[in-house]
Amino acid sequence: MTAPLDLSPRRIRRECVTLAVALAILAFAAPAAGAAPPAATPAPEAGPPPDLRPADPNAPARGAARRYQIEKIRIDGLSHVKEFEVRRRLLVAEGEVLDEERVLLSRLRLLQLGWFSRVETHAERGSERGLVVLVFDVAERNTILVTDLVLASTDPQPLYGGFGLSQQNFLGRGLGLSGAFVYGGAPSGRPQDPDRFAIRASLFAPDVDVPGARNGMVFGGSLLFLHGEELACADPRCDPWRSDLGAAPVIRYSRVGAEGTVGGRPGPFERIHATFRYERLDASRAGAPPPTPDAGPYVLQGRSAVAALVGTWELDTRDDFFLPREGLRALAQVTFGSKLLGGDYEYSRYRLDLDTAYALLGRPLRFQATLGAAQGNPPFFERFYGADYSYFAVGPALARALELNFSTDSRYDQFLAMAGLEYAVPLWASSGFFRRGYVAVGGRGVYSTATLGGSRTSFSSTPLSGDVALRLDTPVGMFNVSVAYWLDIAL
Amino acid sequence: MTPRRIALAALAVAAALAAAGRARAAPAPLPVQLALRDGRLRATVDVSAAFPTSLQRELGNGLTNVVAIYVAVVPARGGGPALIYGRVVEILFDVWEETYAVVVKDPHVPQGVRAVLPDFAALRRFLAQERDLDLGPAALVPPGGFVVEARVEVNPVSKEQLQRTREFIASPSGGARGAGSSRSVLGAMASFLLRAPPSDADVVLFRSRPYETAEVGR
Repeated sequence: MTAPLDLSPRRIRRECVTLAVALAILAFAAPAAGAAPPAATPAPEAGPPPDLRPADPNAPARGAARRYQIEKIRIDGLSHVKEFEVRRRLLVAEGEVLDEERVLLSRLRLLQLGWFSRVETHAERGSERGLVVLVFDVAERNTILVTDLVLASTDPQPLYGGFGLSQQNFLGRGLGLSGAFVYGGAPSGRPQDPDRFAIRASLFAPDVDVPGARNGMVFGGSLLFLHGEELACADPRCDPWRSDLGAAPVIRYSRVGAEGTVGGRPGPFERIHATFRYERLDASRAGAPPPTPDAGPYVLQGRSAVAALVGTWELDTRDDFFLPREGLRALAQVTFGSKLLGGDYEYSRYRLDLDTAYALLGRPLRFQATLGAAQGNPPFFERFYGADYSYFAVGPALARALELNFSTDSRYDQFLAMAGLEYAVPLWASSGFFRRGYVAVGGRGVYSTATLGGSRTSFSSTPLSGDVALRLDTPVGMFNVSVAYWLDIAL
Repeated sequence: MTPRRIALAALAVAAALAAAGRARAAPAPLPVQLALRDGRLRATVDVSAAFPTSLQRELGNGLTNVVAIYVAVVPARGGGPALIYGRVVEILFDVWEETYAVVVKDPHVPQGVRAVLPDFAALRRFLAQERDLDLGPAALVPPGGFVVEARVEVNPVSKEQLQRTREFIASPSGGARGAGSSRSVLGAMASFLLRAPPSDADVVLFRSRPYETAEVGR
């Protein structure tokens, strides 16, 4: 007879609480030593029951192990990953006494790398009594992830799309290599114009052993090549040229830039990075004469350069990147752009991100907030585009793709505030392709303005947005099927 | 290990139990023998289905493994458990002696008792037959019938364990634009890979036939 099982999570949880309380009470009440043994369970047909004796109170926390010495550490299952990259991350070494706690931590550390779908450990006999061989048996996982997937349509660009990939373990040495592009072609109504596109490539070494740096250091660099256009109309919808956007005034620009990053981990949950960024810009006006001489987003006409130092501090104590139930991710970033560094723009930019998770009625609730301010005269792409922070934007604005704006709204603001709540309903967790999934229901408010105390921009006059999204965690990346994404295009 | 630490460990195991996801249902009803002694309900259950011979590789890996066994009396109509018993067994296969050292901890003996078993067959018998478990006062047996449920977990990952190792799960990203986010994208997978059931064999649930309250002579 197969009995149906109704150990629902709620019931199990209730049981556990009951059990935990019972165990705790009994544990405190129990005599310290010489207590009667528990209801022993000798095998029914095994002859005499096993000799049960009180455990040594000084025995190791786990088990009652003999203290063996690790003669050798063997790593099985490697094909792509370099063995020395695995060994240097182990917290146990040959010649040491076997410490199970450190074996567990080593296993966790290997899992944390994201290179393996399975890490098992076991001990085998060594060459003589008292010695063991410690074996790490690993299964390598796919480390190529889809990071960007864009397909959308706007009035100025009837169809555009993009794609990004990231190799998390490039050459088997733990390097992160990523690349992404977005392509839109020539703008609507101006087939002779240059194509709009953006390409970005990055190479990062996230964990480099440097003498004196306890937690290793980060080195990296990235390249950006972008060609875009921003409409320079007097209103966000570009109404005077609504029927022929090809004739509207535009600012045509290209950006070629590079940045180098060096950083470290002052604590287990923190990172600090310093980045130097240098970009060459080339901007020019085209189309109809602008309604005012300075219409459109700010950028110096002709050739110019952006040179900036960026300092970033990041804290991440979340228990899970996909569906955090507790912990905090905080990011503080300061950008200082100056002629002193070789650029043509004097500005500073400040950004603070918070993302913290709680549990409400047993389900994850996330609070997300961003504060941003830009002072001086940064080029438009160093300011804040409100739609980037919203689930969807009522009006023509649309979240940018790889910093390319395909909408008619070219309002970039110098002050931004965003706050939102997102509630998650987990749906499943399995070992299949769609490993985990949850439905997120969220609401956000975004306020942005060109000047402090100034009037709201057209976009932020409707600052509230919401979303219902299905989020999927797969071996090739995280996917988001979002109602807001389509609303953003439709509204 | 102090009683306080035992209690914390038990709490952690219980929390992990609460968080555990999918569990495998045992195919047959849980064989149970119930007895009433000194006003307390005692049970002998056979959970051998939770310990197939294929488990030898895991339990014989030369490192400490943990088996947690929980037995509860729940109303037949549903609801929370009226009585519950839990036991944690630590198992270590000695690769040189080729014996299994076990330490059994439960609310009565939180510091544990130790035994050495000669081979896997003996270990399996030891784990499979849970005898004379003191479930609690018979007066608390729910009126209107009940079932006995058992849950067996092999190597549960406790919340305490995860908490202790959060440092290795933390994954701040890199780069001013987040371009070097290799650790943030994949790093925290450790928490999932640890918690996700790697196979159906890690958690086994059992459920007995329904019992009338009168059957235990309450």
